[in-house]
Amino acid sequence: MIRMLLRVLGHEYAGPVRRTVALMTATALVEGLSYALLVPVLRALFGSTPGDAWPWLYAFGGAVAGYALLRYVSDRSGFLAGSTLLRGTYHRLGDHLARLPIGWYEGGRLGEVSALASRGVLQAMAVIAHLLAPFISACVTPLTIVAVMSAFNWQMGLAASAAVPIVAAIQMRAGRSMAATDRERHERDHEATGRVIEYLQAQPVLRAGGRTAERFRMLDDSLRDVRRASRRTALSALPGVVGLALAVQAMFTVLLALGTYLALGGNIGAAELLALLVLAARCADPLLSLSDIGGRLRGARYELTRLDEVLRTEPLPVPADPVQPVLHDLEFESVTFRRGGRTVIDGLSLSVPQGQRLAVVGPSGSGKSTLLQLAARFHDVDGGAVRLGGVDVRAIDPDDLMGRFAIVFQDVRLFDGTIEENVRLGRPDADEADVRAAATAARLDEVIERLPGGWSAHVGEGGARLSGGERQRVSIARALLKDAPVVLLDEVTSALDPVNEAAVHEGIERLMAGRTVVMVAHRMRTVRRADRVVFLDGGRIVEEGSHDTLLSQGGRYAEFWDVSLTPAAGE
Amino acid sequence: MFAKLRDRPGKGVEDGSDETRDAEVPRPFLPRFAAVVILQVVGALAGLLPLLAVVEVGRALSAPGPADREHVWAAVIVGAVGMLVRLAFTSASSGVGHLLDSQVQLTLRRRLAAHLGRVPVGWFSRRRTGELAKVVGEDVSAVHPFIAHTPGELVSAFVVPLASLVYLFAVDWRMTLITLIPVVLAMALVPLMMTPTRLREQEEFDAGMGRIASSVVEFVLGISVVKAFGGGERAHRAFLTAVDDFVGSFLRMVRGLAGIAAAMQVALSPPFVLLVVLTGGAARIGAGDLPAADLLPFLLLGLGLTAPVAALGHGFDDMQAARRAVGRIREVLAVQPLPEPAHPTAPQGHRVELRDVRFGYEAGHEVLRGIDLVLEPGTVTALVGPSGSGKSTLVRLLPRFFDPTHGSVTLGGVDLREIDSRELHRKVSFVFQDVRLLRTSVADNIALAVPHADFDDVVRAARLAHIHDRILQLPRGYASVIGEDAGLSGGEAQRISLARALLADAPVLVLDEATAFVDPQTEQAVRRALATLEGTRTTLVIAHRLETIAEADTVVMLDGGSVVERGSPAELLAREGEFAAFWQAQRSATADRSGAHGGVPRGGRSR
Repeated sequence: MIRMLLRVLGHEYAGPVRRTVALMTATALVEGLSYALLVPVLRALFGSTPGDAWPWLYAFGGAVAGYALLRYVSDRSGFLAGSTLLRGTYHRLGDHLARLPIGWYEGGRLGEVSALASRGVLQAMAVIAHLLAPFISACVTPLTIVAVMSAFNWQMGLAASAAVPIVAAIQMRAGRSMAATDRERHERDHEATGRVIEYLQAQPVLRAGGRTAERFRMLDDSLRDVRRASRRTALSALPGVVGLALAVQAMFTVLLALGTYLALGGNIGAAELLALLVLAARCADPLLSLSDIGGRLRGARYELTRLDEVLRTEPLPVPADPVQPVLHDLEFESVTFRRGGRTVIDGLSLSVPQGQRLAVVGPSGSGKSTLLQLAARFHDVDGGAVRLGGVDVRAIDPDDLMGRFAIVFQDVRLFDGTIEENVRLGRPDADEADVRAAATAARLDEVIERLPGGWSAHVGEGGARLSGGERQRVSIARALLKDAPVVLLDEVTSALDPVNEAAVHEGIERLMAGRTVVMVAHRMRTVRRADRVVFLDGGRIVEEGSHDTLLSQGGRYAEFWDVSLTPAAGE
Repeated sequence: MFAKLRDRPGKGVEDGSDETRDAEVPRPFLPRFAAVVILQVVGALAGLLPLLAVVEVGRALSAPGPADREHVWAAVIVGAVGMLVRLAFTSASSGVGHLLDSQVQLTLRRRLAAHLGRVPVGWFSRRRTGELAKVVGEDVSAVHPFIAHTPGELVSAFVVPLASLVYLFAVDWRMTLITLIPVVLAMALVPLMMTPTRLREQEEFDAGMGRIASSVVEFVLGISVVKAFGGGERAHRAFLTAVDDFVGSFLRMVRGLAGIAAAMQVALSPPFVLLVVLTGGAARIGAGDLPAADLLPFLLLGLGLTAPVAALGHGFDDMQAARRAVGRIREVLAVQPLPEPAHPTAPQGHRVELRDVRFGYEAGHEVLRGIDLVLEPGTVTALVGPSGSGKSTLVRLLPRFFDPTHGSVTLGGVDLREIDSRELHRKVSFVFQDVRLLRTSVADNIALAVPHADFDDVVRAARLAHIHDRILQLPRGYASVIGEDAGLSGGEAQRISLARALLADAPVLVLDEATAFVDPQTEQAVRRALATLEGTRTTLVIAHRLETIAEADTVVMLDGGSVVERGSPAELLAREGEFAAFWQAQRSATADRSGAHGGVPRGGRSR
């Protein structure tokens, strides 16, 4: 557990963690040892000279003071270590997430990662801050007490020691059997969450089919699975909890019976026996709390494991001696890329000379967007090579590579901040005039005029307060400001109404001027301005040439073009 | 989290009204819930017996003269039995509690799901799905301690010390008061934690935690931007700032509270309690006030007196979290469902009429300002206008995502509010921007609105939507499951959703053209499909393509939530008003495409 914690956190934090663990152990030891003083105190009080108890009581007082001090120091150390670790883990996770390939985030990953980062990290840190101390104390204090007991009476000590391996075995067994059911439960929970989200998002459609909750079987099934899994968890936890309680209580019963037997036989003094039984009671309580703490630790462990998995995901390899490309022509050489068992790009070769525009056209699912992603190294290719200025993108420093691309996606996400902040993201050190110029060029100025607050209007989470076209203009302004030599456009205008489309087109034209451009497009008029067009199908280039050439060839592209010009069906 | 500071005082415990309690434990479960608590309390009380047995053994052994063997062994047996009873009852309580808990959670989740299936669809767009999913998932789980743990533990944390107190007072009242000193000390520390400074620190801590959660979500969701613009450090600055702020506020809070919290922990710790009892005991035994044997009960039971304070602190965080969760669950359950008519009326025909319809998402901000509109069966009405003019809102009134705040929408002469919602959904189908495919087979996805459709009909709809061939390429054809072995692109998903609407074959069709046609092939496919289905259908379309506008029977131009112009495309163009200007703007925007076509619109389509 601690080892995994340290791996997740990074070993530079080993020092504070070890110190905290040592302090907590010392605190628990002092607590256990201080109880030894109960024996002489009680012996004196139950004997004929109760006054003899005072020196021992002073000693006990001293021990309690020492315990209090240690406790304060170790608590504080736990908090400080916890907060340092929290900060460290967040920074580590943040940096790591920024380095992972974008391809990694596809599918359900986004939700998973944000849950992990917001709740998982806090839970993991809670281990240090408030589960570790009770856990250590619940283990160390009883052990110390057993040792103290043995020192006073070997028979009682032996009887108490017998419980140690039993309790340990039960704890370990329970831990193992719970791990499996816990995992199943988490899986069911995860599955159900997916179904709930689906149910919520699909409300309009589900209602159209009259499928509200009672009838939406898929959701109900997964909710029932959750119940089944949680029952199984509860039932599989029971033997551990009952077993532990049984073992601890049996130990106490044995000590009570054995002590009574010894005392009746005159082998142990009454005061001594009573003191040892008080100690036995002190031993039992923390042991019983073990099953509760154990459950909480397992929860934290689960989060830690997932955190560990994310942190161990390899980011794209960084070149040892990065090369800086001088030119900005793009070249794909026999590129093959597979995802999920499917070949998305299949031995594709093409090149875009510096300053030229390439349009990529093709039916949906033909690999157009993937092509753009490979150029910017969102993924690494499975075969062949992608080169920028003649240099394999894998040999270029990732930050340097990214700095050379301006990418405009179809779906734009903005940060919750002002419009200006979002535009400035393109080049944080840009001066005021440059930012304004970029905004004007992207026709963002008219949007800004309309918004209350203008430049400092907040865009809302993910840019929710702007329409799709307005968000698109922000992203174009951002790309213009960035002024990168290569521009990648992904179906930029396909979801826009004509008014926004016209505005966006103006911006795009300015963005493309003099740069190397690869654009995925459906709107044929963008395509027409390209120097060259490739028609993609099934991850391969099926046609290639200028717009006019392809049109005159009368192939797939020409068909596509015709279809797009046909005003209406059946006329 | 970091709940070690859990002893911190509450921020106003909410009132427990009947409704709240109902959200915690639905009524049918109350008997079982009571059983959980009673079993736990009996078990906890039985747990006192072994301690009392030790006391009895001690008394018998330390009494002058030979010990009463029978009495001693009887005490040992009572102690052993007490332990067994405790074990049996607390295990039973825990077992029943957990089973009850899973049942209650299922019931709550089903209730939430059923309720969410009845609230206005429009309500969802303003609530984030993630938040709602959290309510159904995590928040319901967070009610767990309410049911399975805390009530039993809390009750026994008070009942057991109370029983102990009664016993201890009977033994020696002055000694009892001495034993209570640690509890009093701990309580005396509580006000120190409630000073304004401390409270402010805690609020900052809570706020900081909230900021971390939202900035991490922002950061992760925006990762593609972070990557695309390089310089990771710069782009996730907001996130790291939130982290540093949070850690700062945490440290401030710890610095303020650590001393007090540690003092409280120490005051309640067994060594300190034993020290107090022994010191008081030694003084009184020395003075001859107390028989030595009477000290024993205080050493054994006295420790248990701190339990309520400890339990209050211990259960507090969980209970607070559970309360907040219940609050959120209640909030969702309190959303007014879309009212269903008591006596539904069946619409006659499918003429749609909007009369003086006004609507606003928030009070005081109207999006639609008095719309009068008639959609005749067998006609296509194209809705045009600048973004923000209310087009999307208007079309959403037809499938009753919202009810108008003023005026009425009627279908076949009947107000939508008087039509059974299932009937309405059979009459009105729609294709809107966000395509949702469910993680189930492709065939089920197409047949979503018509669960008992023939497979042949499903295939016909798929063919019409130009997606049949693609489906056959999937590993299991129509049985392939979306997201598992059917990976479809965005355009393909849209065609599935179109097939869905075509299969539903409702007499009123509402569609948003913006994303309905993602590529030219789909666009053509859709046109064809729709053409075959027209006839008596009532169609309302948010039109973006000049072609669609040109072929509509009626064009309605919206601006600022009002109809500014309406008529056939040719009429409107001739009028040279706002629509004509709009048309020209569009034409120049798509100039390259309209070279060969799209000159002057013809009035209506030739049929």
